[in-house]
Amino acid sequence: MKDSLDPRIKPLERENYLSKSSPDQLHTYEVFVQPKEGKPYEHVGIVHAADLEMAFVFAKELFSRRNSCVGMWVVKTSDVWVTEYTEGEDNIFSHFEKNVDGGEIEYEVFLLPKRGKQHRHVSRVKTKSPDAAIGLLYHKDSSLKGYNVWVCESEKFFKSNQEIKQIWDTLPDKGFRDALAYKAGDKLKNFLKK
Amino acid sequence: MNTAAVKELLYKIADDQLILGHRNSEWTGLGPLLEEDIAFSSMAQDKIGHSLTFYELLHEMGEENPDKIAFLRKSRDFKNCQLVELPNTDYAFSLIRHFLYDTAELQRMKLLANSEIDMIRERAAKVKGELVYHTMHANTWLKKLGNGTEESIEKMQVALDQLMPYALGMFEPSVYEEELVKNKIFAGEKILQDLWWNDVRKIINSTKLVLKDISDYPVVFGGRTGEHTNHLQVLLEEMSEVINIDPNAEW
Repeated sequence: MKDSLDPRIKPLERENYLSKSSPDQLHTYEVFVQPKEGKPYEHVGIVHAADLEMAFVFAKELFSRRNSCVGMWVVKTSDVWVTEYTEGEDNIFSHFEKNVDGGEIEYEVFLLPKRGKQHRHVSRVKTKSPDAAIGLLYHKDSSLKGYNVWVCESEKFFKSNQEIKQIWDTLPDKGFRDALAYKAGDKLKNFLKK
Repeated sequence: MNTAAVKELLYKIADDQLILGHRNSEWTGLGPLLEEDIAFSSMAQDKIGHSLTFYELLHEMGEENPDKIAFLRKSRDFKNCQLVELPNTDYAFSLIRHFLYDTAELQRMKLLANSEIDMIRERAAKVKGELVYHTMHANTWLKKLGNGTEESIEKMQVALDQLMPYALGMFEPSVYEEELVKNKIFAGEKILQDLWWNDVRKIINSTKLVLKDISDYPVVFGGRTGEHTNHLQVLLEEMSEVINIDPNAEW
């Protein structure tokens, strides 16, 4: 496993670091979006916020201003359990023991199917621990393949419900938010012609 | 149907949306944190879009085109309540105004989504969805800052006390009130105010902020009949600065 180069994961080491021990009052939250009915939720990015509800409020405008969206889930980064990353032919599921153990905790499982893609929701399972969740999934479907898995307790999420959903109803009408809609090039051409 | 009654109703709704949309857009680039800056600016843009929806309807009823209605009227022709024209002070002020106004607007759109007039019903139903987000945003901040530090609670309380008389001015009854109610175009300002007060109390009571009895607040009327503070004229001059260079330019 390579060390991450991402400064958020592995900050640069500095002597006499001047910041307070906690450099930020805010936490990070992971944002997942459902682009269309029936499609799986996909990870779209991270948002800073003071709590889960506010994270959802910010994420709505940050991640669903332009693209199609019918649902959104938000969860605190520190509540996400992550596996290591694998490379090439090394399937992340092969690192976990298949199991059928039941349990009472409900988990959402997200899989990175390809490097360079986003984590995508694959299943919701009831079991006893994050690694048991992965083993259980692999037991049910041994064709599963990917490079990294995130697991998080369902109850830790803020999820949009039916009542909230209408906030995206007018999104298809908001083409004007796309830079292309300004047709600035055409307007400039017409102006120069005159 | 009394056209003058409907037009007056649409003007006050759209003028509120336009003026508050402009006021809130003044925070763009100055928001307390990046995520909030984007969210608040985006909602300001929504509001201006909502006003366009209703100005278009007015245009279909024979009024001027939306750009002219929005940018080329004098302040005395505007029917917005004074609440929306007051200049921004601190962020607590803008959040409290956003909360008091959007709580009312969501209820107003819910009432209008049952209007006898199809065109109003359809437009209100559309606007309503976006207001569900606007009120969610407002309520989240209210609960956060209203239960936060001594400083945040103090700032929110000051803004609440200052704005309540103006917020009650939103419900200034129209001369056409009976007409609108009788024809089931709009349920009326009295019913709207009751629904609003219920929602406002529910949120404020979940914080450390204090509300007085509704009858203990003075009420600032005037906006609905074109009586405004001087702040509106300044806002309109700034808003129409570009169009006034060449009112017939294409843009």
